[in-house]
Amino acid sequence: MADLGLNIPSLVVFLVNFTILLAILYLFAFKPILKLLDQRSERIRESLEAADSARQAATASEAKTQEQLNEARLEGQRLLEQARQIAEKFREDEMTKTRNEAEAFIERARQGIEQEKSEAIEEVKTHFAGLAIYAAERVIERSLDRESHKDLIGKVLSQESNVDKES
Amino acid sequence: MAKPLVMGIGLGIITLLVLGFIVGAIGQKFIESRTPISALSLDAPEIHLPAQAVYPADKREEAMQGHNLGFMGFAITNTMMSSFATTLVLILVLVLGARRKRLIPGRFQCFVELIVESLFNFVEGVSGKEMARRFFPVIATIFLFVMFNAWMGLLPFYPAWGFDPQAPDGGVYWASSQELDVKAASYDSHGIIHQEAVPIDGHDTHMSKVDLFRPAGTDINMPLALAIVAFVFVEFWGFKVLGIGYLSKFIRVRNLFRGPKYLFTALIDLFVGILETLSELIRVVSFTFRLFGNMLAGEILILVSAFLIPFIFSVPFYGLELLVGFIQAMIFAGLTVTFAAVAIAHHEE
Repeated sequence: MADLGLNIPSLVVFLVNFTILLAILYLFAFKPILKLLDQRSERIRESLEAADSARQAATASEAKTQEQLNEARLEGQRLLEQARQIAEKFREDEMTKTRNEAEAFIERARQGIEQEKSEAIEEVKTHFAGLAIYAAERVIERSLDRESHKDLIGKVLSQESNVDKES
Repeated sequence: MAKPLVMGIGLGIITLLVLGFIVGAIGQKFIESRTPISALSLDAPEIHLPAQAVYPADKREEAMQGHNLGFMGFAITNTMMSSFATTLVLILVLVLGARRKRLIPGRFQCFVELIVESLFNFVEGVSGKEMARRFFPVIATIFLFVMFNAWMGLLPFYPAWGFDPQAPDGGVYWASSQELDVKAASYDSHGIIHQEAVPIDGHDTHMSKVDLFRPAGTDINMPLALAIVAFVFVEFWGFKVLGIGYLSKFIRVRNLFRGPKYLFTALIDLFVGILETLSELIRVVSFTFRLFGNMLAGEILILVSAFLIPFIFSVPFYGLELLVGFIQAMIFAGLTVTFAAVAIAHHEE
């Protein structure tokens, strides 16, 4: 075994050497480095989480804004619709009113005209009957029963006007 | 274009190969005559299994004459020197890397953290999250120590610095031209490339050089020390996690008290317990000789290849040894953590 180089003091030296190396590396290298790595991964995790929650908050607020926007748009449309309806109604009301008034006015005018006309006809009839009687009196030179003639003439005239109307 | 550059490099490599072939041991055997460039050739490597004493000087003198330290003799050996150097370098690199604890690391800190983190992930992968913290320092130190020992052994000053009994000033050489002069002088008087005895001061014995550094893995004491460390820690963790119940893996007597029906099973159990105990102990031996054999073989391979054909021929072997150093470190650390993981596993009830 000594030919292989087995040597107890060397073995002890190597053992001590390794132990010292292990102790120093553990205390001054591995421990702080692992701690630092842990800290860093913790930090990264936190940052990622913070970024995540920020993103979520942003998404939420965006959604809220969108919702509000939609609401406002709907409200606007509703108001517009309402206004249009009111305007429509107002317009229709006004039109109806105007039409009614116009019709009433026309009706009144027509009635007036009708009345004027019948008055005028009446008057013409009256005058015409008197005139005819007068003419007949003059022709036959005698006084006729004024009233019965008047009736006769009225009949004739109304027949005339009926004939006029039919033609 | 880069073509002339490539051609130049290729030409340089071929020139070095040819030159190496001429001045190397093979070429010199063929040529058999001294030329000035013969001075570039290397001495035949001397392979010593035991480490050589470097300090104190009288022990070194004995080592030059080929005496080993034996079982109990104490001296600072060249393998210890390189082990100290490795320790120093490791401490410098890692502690300096850990000194500035910045959350956003610089390049050097990044590099050190990369080493530590990959090792930690390796340990975690084998042993699981809980135990990784406990195992990691030992496993990582074993890995780094083995690998840096192997890699630093490839540095040129390892075989170049040392003590030469033939040098004029008491034998210190620092890979200088002085060494080459000495060699050239000895060629004049002997006429052959050689590793023959040179009589100095009336001694007729062969005196060998003693390198100042020699890769620690090539000294069986270093792998043995690591194997013992691994063994101790594995058993320690076993007891720490399983308590006294850890022993039931080795002393299996439960079936002995269950009546005659179980006698056969009990005997098998006893035998398995003995096997477990033996395998635990034999592990130390296999750990030791695996690392020792690989490191020594690598060292010899490089020395011999550089001796036969110097300069460029040994470069691929350097690459190979880089790989071997890494793999051996991986194996040593990996097996240790695997055994540890097995030791803390709750075995059959």
